[in-house]
Amino acid sequence: MDSESKNMAISRRLFLKGAALTPLTLALGGAAISAVYLRPAQARDFYLRPPGAIEEKRFLAACVKCGRCAQACPYQSIKMAGGEAVVGIGTPYIVPREMPCYLCPDIPCTKVCPSGALDKKLNDVEKIRMGTAIIVDRSACLSIRGLRCEVCYRQCPLIDKAITLETRHNVRTDTHTIMEPVIHRDKCVGCGICEKVCVRETPVIVVQKTPTLQKDHYEF
Amino acid sequence: MSSKWTIARRIVQILVIALIASPLVGLTIFQGNLAAGELLGLPLSDPLAFLQALIGGRVFVVSYLISTLIVVAFYFLLGGRSFCGWVCPVNLVTELADKLRKRWGTGNGTLPLASNRSTLALTLVVVAITGAPLFEILSPIGIINRAIVFYSLLPLLLIAAILLLELLVARRVWCRSLCPLGGFYSLLGHFSPLRLGFTPERCTHCSDCLAVCPVEEVLEPSLAQDAPQVAAGDCTRCMACLDVCPSKALTVKFGYK
Amino acid sequence: MELTRRDFLKASAAAAALTAAGAPMLAPKLANAADDRGIKWGKAPCRYCGVGCCVLVGVKDGKIVATKGDPAGPVNKGLNCIKGYFLSKALYGKDRLTTPLIRKGNKMVPATWNEALDLIASKYKEAIANHGPGSVAMYGSGQWTVFEGYTAVKLFKGGLGSNNLEPNARLCMASAVGAFMNTFGSDEPMGCYDDLDIGDTFILWGANMAEAHPILFSRLIDNKLKNSKVKIIDIATRRTRTTQMADEYIPMHPQGDLAALNAIAHVILRDKLYDEAFVAKHVNFKRGTENQPYGLKDKEAPKETPTPLTFDQYKELMKPFTPQWAEKLSGVPAAKIEELAKLYSDKTRKINSLWTMGVNQHVRGVWVNNLIYTLHLLTGKIGKKGENPLSLTGQPSACGTAREVGTFAHRLPADMVVMNEAHRKKTAAIWGIDPNKIPAKPGLHTIEMFRAIDRGELKCLWIQCTNPFQSLPNLSRYRKAAEAHKAFIVVSDIYPTKSTEVADVILPSASWVEKEGVFGNTERRTQHWFKMIEPPGQAKEDTWQLIEFAKRMGLGHLFPYSEKGFYKEMWEEYRKFTIGTGKDLAPYEAYQKVRGLRWPVKPNGEETRWRYVDFDDPNVKKGEGIKFYKAKDHKVNIWFRPYEPPAESPDKDYPFWYCTGRLLEHWHTATMTGRVPELKRAMSEATLEIHPEDARKLGIKNRDKVKVSSRRGSVILRAEINGRGKPEKGNVFTTFFDESKLINDLCIDAFDPLSKEPDFKKCAVKIQKA
Repeated sequence: MDSESKNMAISRRLFLKGAALTPLTLALGGAAISAVYLRPAQARDFYLRPPGAIEEKRFLAACVKCGRCAQACPYQSIKMAGGEAVVGIGTPYIVPREMPCYLCPDIPCTKVCPSGALDKKLNDVEKIRMGTAIIVDRSACLSIRGLRCEVCYRQCPLIDKAITLETRHNVRTDTHTIMEPVIHRDKCVGCGICEKVCVRETPVIVVQKTPTLQKDHYEF
Repeated sequence: MSSKWTIARRIVQILVIALIASPLVGLTIFQGNLAAGELLGLPLSDPLAFLQALIGGRVFVVSYLISTLIVVAFYFLLGGRSFCGWVCPVNLVTELADKLRKRWGTGNGTLPLASNRSTLALTLVVVAITGAPLFEILSPIGIINRAIVFYSLLPLLLIAAILLLELLVARRVWCRSLCPLGGFYSLLGHFSPLRLGFTPERCTHCSDCLAVCPVEEVLEPSLAQDAPQVAAGDCTRCMACLDVCPSKALTVKFGYK
Repeated sequence: MELTRRDFLKASAAAAALTAAGAPMLAPKLANAADDRGIKWGKAPCRYCGVGCCVLVGVKDGKIVATKGDPAGPVNKGLNCIKGYFLSKALYGKDRLTTPLIRKGNKMVPATWNEALDLIASKYKEAIANHGPGSVAMYGSGQWTVFEGYTAVKLFKGGLGSNNLEPNARLCMASAVGAFMNTFGSDEPMGCYDDLDIGDTFILWGANMAEAHPILFSRLIDNKLKNSKVKIIDIATRRTRTTQMADEYIPMHPQGDLAALNAIAHVILRDKLYDEAFVAKHVNFKRGTENQPYGLKDKEAPKETPTPLTFDQYKELMKPFTPQWAEKLSGVPAAKIEELAKLYSDKTRKINSLWTMGVNQHVRGVWVNNLIYTLHLLTGKIGKKGENPLSLTGQPSACGTAREVGTFAHRLPADMVVMNEAHRKKTAAIWGIDPNKIPAKPGLHTIEMFRAIDRGELKCLWIQCTNPFQSLPNLSRYRKAAEAHKAFIVVSDIYPTKSTEVADVILPSASWVEKEGVFGNTERRTQHWFKMIEPPGQAKEDTWQLIEFAKRMGLGHLFPYSEKGFYKEMWEEYRKFTIGTGKDLAPYEAYQKVRGLRWPVKPNGEETRWRYVDFDDPNVKKGEGIKFYKAKDHKVNIWFRPYEPPAESPDKDYPFWYCTGRLLEHWHTATMTGRVPELKRAMSEATLEIHPEDARKLGIKNRDKVKVSSRRGSVILRAEINGRGKPEKGNVFTTFFDESKLINDLCIDAFDPLSKEPDFKKCAVKIQKA
């Protein structure tokens, strides 16, 4: 009887302790989870995946978050997403302004991907499609304003294919040429080197998700 | 009482972490992590991650399957949840929680052991329906791996949450009842030929083994029935019982009986 | 200097009014310049290349807060290249030198100006006392202001009695100078940038204008956009951004220019496409000395002894130089040579030749320059609006300072030379010194100067405003000599460089608008700017450094200018050299208001766009047509210059041609542009451009690290395949801006025997995967 009541007392104390601690713990756990997963994602509305990434929805499942692509990248271009990517936690991505993809000819990141999230069979850097560069702020682009910048063009690994210079008469000076970098969506691989090298404080050329092709019957 | 098994286990656990961290110092013996990696050129992959990638990502890569089968075969041979006991870095955390919990006398609640079968099923159903690899998203294993290799530290909050949960609410709740990978391995380990042998004649019924066993459901039934083997797939192969047994009634046995 | 500051304010107001009234403005402001109020704008030429763009500099609270292209600038009309856009940042690098430093063992220890200058003076005095004035030297720059160059010439040639004064322009423009002098009798072009707007046919001889002369190229292409007749032909050993916009690209072997140019002349002669009357009236024919050495041996001093030729003799000599002969040597197809000959002599076309380092940095650089003039002189396509040969320059004052002031070992101001007694006398008269003070023997030219250090003969060298210990060819030899402290080396610069590394004394200099100055660009445009901000710390302008040194050498009397009228008085003294020589400069005030004036400035203050022609040049009377009044008997020379091989060619062991050059993002050794984070990010390291097929054969992939080695040194670079530049098969190319990759180590220090300009464009290397 004596020992029984002692046991009862202990369990009651434990129960009370549990009653107080459980919600507290759950609250703390919940806070941890939301801190990990519900932070604002990066400003870009998509994650620039390494070369050969399959379509994003499937990629999220196919990627087993082993980080081998990141380890294989000689430039440390590939980062691993944190919880702010929610479903994409632990998936590889590239922030071109910090370190773009330099298009290694043997594409080592795809070669080490075990699961097929990055296409191993991709052998031609020109067939990579990570995204598409777009000049998002024409009024801030120095080349479009007639200055001889064109840094994005000269640094483009597919110079004269993915970016070409289109020349037109500079009406303001009447003696100079405006050499405008023009991006060709069908050739741009989305490596982000242009975004990295853009001399403006906020890059005026950035890699975006390749827009879906809107078909019509014009042949040009 | 010896602790050679526990020491061996700690060494292996630390070695695993060292392997995962090895690329940071420029070594190339191991690349990747426990989800998928390559040890001295041998590709190894987590079977549950494989299933999720297969179902959710609809990708099938033969080499990936092979690397998975190597791992499956390995743990099948070792039996039980040897992955959990020897390899998984989360185990270190939960064992720490267990130790503290015992000292402070907190969080004695418990959840049924078999819940991890349900979380495994839930994981596979979710990935099949939504395409979201539920376990890979939440996996504390992946979080610890990436914290080591990529300094992705914030998600460690999740590990802290598990620690807190185990410390204050329920005993070893993550590993015992929630981890779907644990569920997977307990299913697999159940059929393993490598088992814990029990010689009832030697048993002094001191119950020391039961006290140290992290999964009481493992030893209790076998010992009660004087069975020659401990068949439970939930055995983490921590071998603590072997260490404490004063009469060598528990041994490692190969083969079905 | 009160007056000058007031003048600056006045000029600022004028500039502001001009821009306010002017066209829509480009306003590339710095981030912290959002508030425009209180910014004073002043005009200045760009600090970088020889194009001579005008910029407006915005000053507030003693700091440059903004720069922008000057809409009133005739060269650039408000535009800039990307270097010019970030101009002010070049002055505000974190590691500006702000205090004199003196070497104590392996350390550079801060010192006062007095200590530093006293030390320099004592070393110079000691060397002169023990070894004569030939044992001291100065190595200056085409980036010196006119004042700095003038001070140096007067101090060394008129004061110390040493002709050992050289500008880094020896490495870039000396061959052009040589040919201007031996052809026309006067340095610098007859044409100007207007020709790029007016002409319709442009032959580029190994010039990558798109990157090296960005704003000029923009003008050239605009001409093409406006006029469908315009044809741009790029003849080069490498496909460049210029090639991309040219109408035609003609690949040529290195050194092939000598053969191709001769063959074009051959066709012009063979088919009688020359302008007989022009030739008869204006041209003499001459033959120089052939088979001269390449300067590979120390102290080699080849001399040219010209022999006159008749036109017929010349024609006879030119007979073997057939297009087929040239095709073998140059790789330019014979048919193309025929075509080019037709083009050069096409009466319906206004033809212009453009060239720069490809021609000048050449073991026969003067010859190639001569041959280009040959084509224009044979066909009479010279001295016309929109039709001229134009030698492009690379430094902001290679013309204004190095050439016009004459900071070369053999020159004096305004085309004069030390070897000429009359020239020495005229100079001495203006300087008020004894003519015997100026030695009649030319001093050490650049390569010899640094070799003399290695030999232990040169005891003291003062380097200002340039970085030879990154830019010299066969760099190791000269770096090693300096590292062994074989001479006492002073370096004045604004940042630590590869040259300050080896210095015994480092002096912090003022840069650009931290001082008042004058630059002269490619097209003879003289541009002035006022001091707008104070130099940082104790930094002082090079002129001040030289004069303070002069005072310690007992030569202070050579610089009697008042504090108030310092620049104006020095200018007016210098200007005396130019008056009546056809190189007339304007009074100092004239330059303060305008965006430069092209000399000869006419008595009415107007500039001259085209020299030697009666429609523009004040020295040619109306009706005289073309008059080469600077040449002897008013006749210019066509030189017979055969093909001769380069100093070093690829062979079994070193199978590739190695060529070096410049690119748009950085300037020279990147002492300035390397401090601009945006430019660093845009182009962070030198790469090795290689032809894709060569790379494939060597198993080299894009961005692989490769080891390039010559007989003199090696360097590891990343391979760049199919990038901005694509050398022809068997050629590789790299850039010299990157101080972490001393690529000039590989270059051979062979030079043109006439111009003493080294060949940075041709030597033999091998390439291995690193």
